[in-house]
Amino acid sequence: MKVIVDAKNIKKVYGTKGNVYTAIEGIDLTVQEGQYIGIMGPSGAGKSTLLNILATIDQPTSGDVVIDGTSIVHMNEEQLSVFRREKLGFIFQDYNLLDTLTVRENILLPLALAKTKIKELERRVEEVADIFGISPILDKYPYQISGGQKQRTATSRALVAKPSLILADEPTGALDSKSATDLLESLKGLSEHNRATILMVTHDAFAASYCQKVVFIKDGKLFTELVKGKLPRKEFFNKILDVLSVLGGGASDVI
Amino acid sequence: MTLFSLAWKNMKGSFSNYLIYFVSMVFSMIVYYTFVSLQYSEQIQGSIMLSEFMSFMFMAASAVLLLFVAIFLLYSNSFFTRSRKREIGLYSMLGLRKKSIARMMFYENLLMGVLALVIGIVFGALISKFFSMILIKLMGTSAKVDFVPSIEAIVQTVIVFMLIILFTSFQGARLIYRFKLIELFHAEKKGEQAPLVSPIITFIGVSLLAFSYWLIVRPFPEELTGNYVVGNYGMALIALSVGTHLFFRSATVFLLMLSQKNKSRYYRGTNFIGTSQLLYRIRGNARTFSLIALLSAVTISFFGATYSGYYGNEISAKEDVPFTYTHLSGGQSFDSEIEKLINEDTAHPVQAQLDIPVLVMEGQLSFELDYLTSPIKIIAASTFNQASRALDRDVTVHLSGQQAAVVKPRLTDFRQASFEGQHLTLSESKKNSKLQLVQLVEGSVLPFDYPDFFVIVSDEWFKQLAKQTTTLTYKAYEVEDEKTTEAVSSKLATLIDGDFQVHSSFYTVYKEGKEGSAMNLFVFGFLGLVFLAATGSVIYFKQLTEAGEAKPNYEILRKIGVDNKVIRSMLHKQTRFVFGLPLLVGILHSTVVLYFISNFMSNLIGVNMVVPMLIAMVAFIGIYAGYYVLTVTTYYRIVCR
Repeated sequence: MKVIVDAKNIKKVYGTKGNVYTAIEGIDLTVQEGQYIGIMGPSGAGKSTLLNILATIDQPTSGDVVIDGTSIVHMNEEQLSVFRREKLGFIFQDYNLLDTLTVRENILLPLALAKTKIKELERRVEEVADIFGISPILDKYPYQISGGQKQRTATSRALVAKPSLILADEPTGALDSKSATDLLESLKGLSEHNRATILMVTHDAFAASYCQKVVFIKDGKLFTELVKGKLPRKEFFNKILDVLSVLGGGASDVI
Repeated sequence: MTLFSLAWKNMKGSFSNYLIYFVSMVFSMIVYYTFVSLQYSEQIQGSIMLSEFMSFMFMAASAVLLLFVAIFLLYSNSFFTRSRKREIGLYSMLGLRKKSIARMMFYENLLMGVLALVIGIVFGALISKFFSMILIKLMGTSAKVDFVPSIEAIVQTVIVFMLIILFTSFQGARLIYRFKLIELFHAEKKGEQAPLVSPIITFIGVSLLAFSYWLIVRPFPEELTGNYVVGNYGMALIALSVGTHLFFRSATVFLLMLSQKNKSRYYRGTNFIGTSQLLYRIRGNARTFSLIALLSAVTISFFGATYSGYYGNEISAKEDVPFTYTHLSGGQSFDSEIEKLINEDTAHPVQAQLDIPVLVMEGQLSFELDYLTSPIKIIAASTFNQASRALDRDVTVHLSGQQAAVVKPRLTDFRQASFEGQHLTLSESKKNSKLQLVQLVEGSVLPFDYPDFFVIVSDEWFKQLAKQTTTLTYKAYEVEDEKTTEAVSSKLATLIDGDFQVHSSFYTVYKEGKEGSAMNLFVFGFLGLVFLAATGSVIYFKQLTEAGEAKPNYEILRKIGVDNKVIRSMLHKQTRFVFGLPLLVGILHSTVVLYFISNFMSNLIGVNMVVPMLIAMVAFIGIYAGYYVLTVTTYYRIVCR
């Protein structure tokens, strides 16, 4: 099976001499094609830092990250931009939609940037909007639609260019439980049927229970990991809760 | 913590937010103070011939300036408070009483205003010296400028701005009462809806513009009355303003929508992001665009026109007073005394000296001419030709018998066709004195004198006519480098007591004209500069506020994979549109206005306005380009930090 993410011994240190804060202390992570992986941990454990490094928005202090066969550590700004455009798709907690664009335009953004032909572009937008059930609202503006619809728009945008890796940062954080469930089901479906590779940072054990594997981080290090295997989702959910209670500091984080 | 200290901390804490507003306040104050202090400057007033005219000009201009500065300040104030609605809402949420918030807003604005006023006056004092030097240089006087701040100017500036500051402070204090808490929080949330494109409105806008252009450029009617001027140009102004606004409101949307038609181009790269951003704010932008287009038009037009006056002063002075010195003969000894005086000035050697005998008679034209033709001044053909040559002109006449030529009266627009084949009957003449008009020539040889009706007759006829009436003899001198003949001109003025017809020197007219037009140039140049700076600043502020709001959008774009180079080129495109469109319309407007002024002026004074107009436009575009670069750079810094 193809390896999409191969991160080796990543370290991230913030600050200068005398006032150093280590966010990540040597994490290894491997993600294979079609995997749906959750990253959990208490606040300040380094989840977001890890995600930012994989998203090439932040650079590790040391260590190597290879995504889809390419090392991203020594790329310059321009190469990184192209790389983000072609290989990565992002879903953020606060949707990050451009409020001046319609839903349709928001979705086609990555394709337009890649200068895709208009026919192909329109076809792909229709296709992905269909999957997420937002075809009727394609010509609305972000301020005219609900949070759940916004997040599905953002997800469509992340997927439309068929990226090698989808990175999701608390995608359900601002959604009600119905919208959250819909979104999680869709993501699960994508990984199962379309072999999309998804890496999701979350606080929410319920969200994490949809993943095939959950990686726990504490104090910048890998704490443990759980594989769902053949377990029913409910049981997997309970196992995650168990780990979280051991992990500590996060009783409030769980809910 | 007292309210006063909270207000103070507020300002200190987020000074960068306040900076834009603060700078525009200081700017207005500097400009106003500078102008008023020039108005009160005794040194400048004492050094020129036309001080009454000057006070009037300055007074009118300072009224315009005051109005403009007040509007500009209110505009920036509303801009500033709008960006703070959320903060005020937060105070209210935290339980601060409305009264306290209102008081805080009041103190804060007052404090800022007073601080700006002090800075404005200090800088104004420095800058006004610089501007008085420019004014004096333009007028060509040699007055010394001392560095003495004028008390009257300070008092006037303080009074005017304290009133404005108090007003804006009350406005700020009322903010919390005017809006519901929920409105304060959602101040900038809602997207502006793009106005509908209505072909009818676009059509009305364009037709109004065309109509106003037509009103401006159409030729004068036979009889030019005040009513016509006010009616015609007043209507043109209204049509132009309304047309401009409608044009920007609908035609820009139309243009932007048109660019969306070609989908494969529109959705390629970042084109559609920039366009949608422009469309998103089009309603607010349309207002700013029209304001800027109109102000640019006014600035370019006035500056071009006054610069032409300044530029054409020498030509028009030369037309008014063709020879360096002209005086009416006052007897042998008197004439030779003057001749001696002129010859003694070795720095200005005499190039030509001649006598111009003139007969003054009454007469009747064989047709109706819209000009006073009595008395008629008659010159002999040979004298005219001689004078023409002395002045380096190539206009000569060849007349025989009863043929006569009319010298085109200055400040008129008569054509040869109106005179050709007509007759002039001299009434005092005993014999048959019907003169046959054959020609209209340009180029008077004597100083301007209303009615400026000179007729050239053949030499033989001149001799005959001379027997019937007294001959006035003018002594004319043309010297080298006549623009610097101040010393002799003033000596002559004391020597010869009399008005323009008795004696006139080129220098006096040239100097007066230069001062007057320099004053015009300075005043309009100054106002133009202020308008320009203000319009530039309005766009600049607007774009910066927008940059602050759009920052998250650019962050998203970067995360998605748009690199900084692309973002920069996007900003260039957007800013080019925002700056370019109003400028283009402004230039179009001013071209029409200047076309009209140039027709008007070249008829009157024979000044070619192309060069000065081009200079005005290029200067305008140059300064504008500076603002453009500044805007793009700052915008980029804000969104890519």
